[in-house]
Amino acid sequence: MKEEVFTFIVGGKAGEGVRKAGSVTARLFASMGRQVFNMDDYGSLIKGGHNFSVVSTAKRKITSHYINADLVVAPDKRSYDIHKGHLSERGIMVYNYDTVGEAEGVGVPLTTEAKKYPKPDLRIGVGAVATVAAVIGSDKEALRNLIKSEYPRDIENNIAYAMTIYDIVYPKIGNKFQLQRGDKERPIVTGNEAIALGAAAGGLDIYYAYPMTPSSSILHYLAAHDKELGVTAVHPENEIAVMNMAIGSAFAGAKTMVGSSGGGFALMQEAFSLAGMVEAPLLCYLGSRPGPSTGVPTHTAQGDLNFALHQGHGEFARIVASPGSMEEAFYLTAEMLDLVWRFQTPGIILTDKHMAESRVTVDIDAKKTRWPETATHSGGEYKRYLDTENGVSPLLFPPSKELIKWDSYEHDEMGVTTEDPSMIAKMQEKRNRKKKAVADYLTNMHTVNVYGNTGPVILTYGSTTMSVLEALRCREIEAMVVQPVYLEPLPVWELEKYKENSVIVVELSCAGQFASLLAEKVGIQPKAVIKKYDGRPFDPVELASRIKEVV
Amino acid sequence: MDDLATYAENTWCLGCGNFGILGAFKKAVRILEEKGTGREKIMISAGIGCHGKIFDYLKLSGLYSIHGRSMATIQGMKIANPDLKVVAFAGDGDAFGEGIAHMIFAAKRNADITIILHDNGVYGLTTGQFTPTSEKGFKGPSTPKGSIEEPLNPLALMLEAKATFVARGYPVKLDHLVDIMVQAVEHQGFSFVDVLQPCVSFNNTYKRYNALVEILDHVPDSYQEAISIAKRQDKLPLGIIYKEEKLPYHKALYGDWNPVTKRMSKEERIKRIEALLSR
Repeated sequence: MKEEVFTFIVGGKAGEGVRKAGSVTARLFASMGRQVFNMDDYGSLIKGGHNFSVVSTAKRKITSHYINADLVVAPDKRSYDIHKGHLSERGIMVYNYDTVGEAEGVGVPLTTEAKKYPKPDLRIGVGAVATVAAVIGSDKEALRNLIKSEYPRDIENNIAYAMTIYDIVYPKIGNKFQLQRGDKERPIVTGNEAIALGAAAGGLDIYYAYPMTPSSSILHYLAAHDKELGVTAVHPENEIAVMNMAIGSAFAGAKTMVGSSGGGFALMQEAFSLAGMVEAPLLCYLGSRPGPSTGVPTHTAQGDLNFALHQGHGEFARIVASPGSMEEAFYLTAEMLDLVWRFQTPGIILTDKHMAESRVTVDIDAKKTRWPETATHSGGEYKRYLDTENGVSPLLFPPSKELIKWDSYEHDEMGVTTEDPSMIAKMQEKRNRKKKAVADYLTNMHTVNVYGNTGPVILTYGSTTMSVLEALRCREIEAMVVQPVYLEPLPVWELEKYKENSVIVVELSCAGQFASLLAEKVGIQPKAVIKKYDGRPFDPVELASRIKEVV
Repeated sequence: MDDLATYAENTWCLGCGNFGILGAFKKAVRILEEKGTGREKIMISAGIGCHGKIFDYLKLSGLYSIHGRSMATIQGMKIANPDLKVVAFAGDGDAFGEGIAHMIFAAKRNADITIILHDNGVYGLTTGQFTPTSEKGFKGPSTPKGSIEEPLNPLALMLEAKATFVARGYPVKLDHLVDIMVQAVEHQGFSFVDVLQPCVSFNNTYKRYNALVEILDHVPDSYQEAISIAKRQDKLPLGIIYKEEKLPYHKALYGDWNPVTKRMSKEERIKRIEALLSR
């Protein structure tokens, strides 16, 4: 591994502040102007189990965590045993002497020292942060400020504890890894925060959701910042209410978004088709986890691709897009809000836990977004379902002297129910024309990301794009990475040019849904499909060797 | 000319209780207009069933929803623009079969919406199956030996769920029903009107209702009294059974905000996002 990347792992039981320690360490690296990728591996539980947080940092862009660490802090025996296999060649194990005893590595009495203060268990994470600070040669003043801003409760005791641990660690391995400063301090966001902020930047008015990992943090973020952003966040009784309320809000003119994961999204299908029929502009967020059914709630997978592409019954235009980075998640959400309003049809932003919850340093320019442009009624008698050339009818919102009727039954142009055969056919055709209108519009937009210009073609999408790019970086493999941002309509017009290439597909799916989609829609027959389906994202080093094997 | 009617052909059975509900609601709208609430501010929705056809017959704006979801639809309208008055027409199977969770939660959160229940104790449009409010023993195509389930009591259920306006009307007592509808729409919070609706084809209850209905002479003073009236079996009391002033959901959610009319400017929004990112 090129030594430009430094990786830190902290493990422990849920409830001990492990994930917090990971995110605080990420903040420490970011404050040095470095870039960061922080991935949490945790279980669907509140107390106990084994959680760990991986923070990888570099001076250059970094788009994945690395599973082999240069520094591991193990507060208990289980962490020690699990993560001693995760040490890089130069890696150092710092373990809690009080729980592990004599062992290989550097023993630090994390518990003995913590017991000098109230609630010792909650302090172990602070000890892990202090250890990192000592090992990378950060000065005590910087550590003090970090603890003060990141652990606002019981500040004095936390600082005292951090200083003690720092003083114990420093003489042994202090300054062992001298991390250089990077170019500038960047904000850190999760994919979900990027999506929440991107939606806000794109003009979102209301967000509806029922909690389900890994989508819930969008609801939490918007509920916490509702007044600040002027966005209303609502948590109704179930996903069915979520979807129907959102459609009601869109009728009244509000830009709305809903979010869930697989099972919850399945409950939204009925109203997804309602949105297709009444032509409601509606943005949906689907954050995947390994399924089917309850599956593995806090882990990652790209197994819902077909589910997203074929959401809802009946024939109507659907738009599905999947961002390949946190920055793209931000811009794409705003862009999708515009698209669903432009074409008055439901659309889906598809991600997975790996993107939804990983924390990354980003460069985002919020000004580079626009608010939806909508066809609006401009006088004369209003017809909600006016038959137009591209199938898109002007919108008008209440209160109005004009009659505005949205209808779940087949309807005439006024929105009054019909069973008339010629009217049924006319309306089916009208909605069908919107599919073409969406595809035509997308041909003039940026729909596929291409990285690199020589070597084998690697086709991937969503969060796996980040893994592939980091794999190529870490082993300096030359390849061309092609990532369709839009999956429905699939930009076949862009992808066709890779038909004759030797193509490798990379995805987090056992069945290889993405590879099948490319074969069906584009005619691409990959020479290899690299898959992973154990609920964990790729490690770049492991992925690089798998790519080298097939190239 | 009836300026509240559309060109849609009416396909309800002759003598259907729905005609009374349609007529009463039109009268209610005219009264609301006289009192200052223009029809352009009254949004309607409906579920799927014979009741739902009222959506097509009324020349009022709204969204013809799906089975059991109209109460969620109108909550969405209200949250988006609280200046609107929102009314959902629902069937008893629609509201208390498919939509029961939405009904209970809309009442629980005191959503400022009005539900008019076309309560006929039968699925008319699907040819006569038993519904959540059908009497035990009800014979329909899915229960040829008679329903083996106890019926729900919509009034008691809504009271239990913390509804702040609960009433019962009967289309035969038309003006009484009109008055209830007007008050229900004007009520600031969750209003539920259970309308006894005879179905001449599958559950003709005219005779029974005519014998049992009794107009209440006053609005009960207490919740306990309301519950006992709701549970009466010997008589079918008509009128406002319970009324309570309580902060409606949207005001508790965002005060005097209006997501649509008080929308933040793009410039301001971007500024706030930049501030959040730089924190």
